Amino acid sequence: MSKEGKTIRIAPVTRLEGHGELTVRLTKTGKVKDVQFNVSSTRFFEKFLEGRFAEEAPRIAQRICGICPEPHHLASVKAVESAWKVTPPPAATKLRRLLINAKQYSSHALHFFALAAPDFLAGPFGDPALRNVVAIIKALPDVGKLALSVMQFGQDLAAAVGGKAIHPVTAVPGGMLNPFSEEKRDEFLKRVVEAKEHTLETVTLAKKVVQDYWDPITKLAVVNTYYLGMHKKGNLEIYDGNLRVMNPEGEIVADFHPKDYKKYYGEYVPEHSYATHTYYKPEGYPAGIWRANTLARVNVADRMATPMAQEALQDMRDALGRPIHATFAYHWARVIEMVQAVEEIEALLKDPDIVSTDVKLSDVEPRKGEGVGCVEAPRGTLVHNYWTDEKGIIKKVNLVVATNNNIAGIEKSLVETAKQIFEEKAHETLKLPEPMIK
Amino acid sequence: MVKRIALAQLSSCWGCDQSLLDLHFRLLDVLPELDIVYWPAVVDYKLHHLEAMPKNSIHIGFVEGSCRTKEDVHLLKVMREKSKVLVAWGSCSAYGGVQGLGNQWTLKELLERKFLKADTITDPRIPEENLPGFTESVKANPEIVPFDGILPGCPPTSDNTLEALSALLSGQPYDLPDKTVCDQCPKERREKRITEFHRTYEGKIDPDKCLLDQGYLCLGFATIGLCGAQCPTVNTPCKGCFGPPPSVKDHGAKIISALGAIADMSPEELNEAFPDPLGSFYFTDYATSFLSKIREKGRTSEK
Repeated sequence: MSKEGKTIRIAPVTRLEGHGELTVRLTKTGKVKDVQFNVSSTRFFEKFLEGRFAEEAPRIAQRICGICPEPHHLASVKAVESAWKVTPPPAATKLRRLLINAKQYSSHALHFFALAAPDFLAGPFGDPALRNVVAIIKALPDVGKLALSVMQFGQDLAAAVGGKAIHPVTAVPGGMLNPFSEEKRDEFLKRVVEAKEHTLETVTLAKKVVQDYWDPITKLAVVNTYYLGMHKKGNLEIYDGNLRVMNPEGEIVADFHPKDYKKYYGEYVPEHSYATHTYYKPEGYPAGIWRANTLARVNVADRMATPMAQEALQDMRDALGRPIHATFAYHWARVIEMVQAVEEIEALLKDPDIVSTDVKLSDVEPRKGEGVGCVEAPRGTLVHNYWTDEKGIIKKVNLVVATNNNIAGIEKSLVETAKQIFEEKAHETLKLPEPMIK
Repeated sequence: MVKRIALAQLSSCWGCDQSLLDLHFRLLDVLPELDIVYWPAVVDYKLHHLEAMPKNSIHIGFVEGSCRTKEDVHLLKVMREKSKVLVAWGSCSAYGGVQGLGNQWTLKELLERKFLKADTITDPRIPEENLPGFTESVKANPEIVPFDGILPGCPPTSDNTLEALSALLSGQPYDLPDKTVCDQCPKERREKRITEFHRTYEGKIDPDKCLLDQGYLCLGFATIGLCGAQCPTVNTPCKGCFGPPPSVKDHGAKIISALGAIADMSPEELNEAFPDPLGSFYFTDYATSFLSKIREKGRTSEK
């Protein structure tokens, strides 16, 4: 260690959608000076959406994220419909709910198995060659098959509704361009039975991981923040609802329609990240740092919207309470949301309206106006805000993408973890299980 | 023989990676043939691992995304140096991608919109600390380093990637087909005589008939037939996200000249129908267009 201390760079942060690097600065006595989460790329969608036909925005803006294009596609179409004062037919809304739940399911499956599970199955000190989903598939064929099955179910269903799973195309202001066929409905009604079983197996696996890693989960990266998430009459909701903000003590401090988001949202621009830090504006920065995503949603919601998911949430609340500040509990909340997604998918498939051909209005007119479209993306609350002219051309855009709600919280977790590791040697004292992959 | 493969991500959306993972159970057939030496989306090797590899030591390199930052340019050059065969994977890599539309503005204008003028920003500044800095404009990767092949698509389908990969693994050539989306489309086509264009929210689409015949701007006729006509099959006009067939040099120019021929409309009427020609005709390949390059030249000479 030099006189000035030491800088540790991790580049790139792996198993991440997007581009991030980590900078940890230690003082000469080994104390943590600061930690930066350097989000190192951005592509300026806010600007190059200007001048486009607004109805094309759902197909352009979703290129922000290849894991979660469905929420972008839908937040975007909702923003245009809100600006043009258009309400799609009820059957179209049900198809969109099916689409967003299919994606919620496959994205959570991908995140749990491919992005997160390697840390737990190979262990935090595992060989990088073994600490990935490819190695899991090879070493633990049963877990690998489960992972592939759940990811495939969600992706196939998203493709069936959206035309393609990655960058879907069917939502348009006024409805959906393609109805859902009875053949496809019947196919997925059969497949959803197995998907439900696989989801419960995933919950069991997640609970084993929680038991094995109880020590780090409850002690490492436990940070108090605000939480942001959508609900409908208190139920956890991802397509259309109000937004709630919960303070670190667990009190709901705001409950508002997404069109009023500017009153509650602030975006702090750090010196060291191209992704802004979104926060609870009335509280200021950094006091108002909030987190979104799975744990935030289950914190702000009174209950899950479906029975099996509610049971799974009750398990977690019995173990960890509410609100839960343990960052690792995001993974547990993720599989609980998978349960809700598969239950919602089943209910929607059983609804006769899902094969209705009345899914698109034919008299939509563009208007001059401002519209806000908001949904829950897998990684958090997503806002698209467009201004259009009388011909329906986009004049201005404001986007608050899901992940930006978490960047400041991630950094807070990293500071806490760095202190625990570098100052308290937590990695030597925390109880860790034998890794399943060696 | 197991081949060493690296998959690098420049500025992009992860969709190409998701598409590869969407092989699902077919991954079990492919994975045993691969020794993955770099793939940050999935595997934990860091940039310094890649930089330390000997020249040409990677059998197959896939590069997705385009160079929006200076770090992207560095990674692209490292990938070129280390890979025997380098493939531009996806439309961002092959053509610059949707972010190429940003070339309509200067970097300064892009930065201002995002960091200084966004509605919810409370303390405007342009971040610079421990960050790579941006490129002045987006270019197609093959204009920056030589490539051995391109596989376009936004994203390429899982089958596209599997076919290309299988060919490369067995040492076979992988050539792009000179057919169009129309060649793959199931809808019934008639002789075109378009008198008016409709926007996608207008009217009711007849699911059996060609979308272009019905007056919806479907770009299948000028777009490479690799995707299986996924969008027109579900009554959604092709936006051209796979770029043109190999024989076409400038996608938008080809579209404009073809529209002149198939539409019974005056140039003024066409102008009126398409107030945003760049967005409409160059969805993912504006960066490769003559127009973008002329604009870029103009800016350079102004300086």
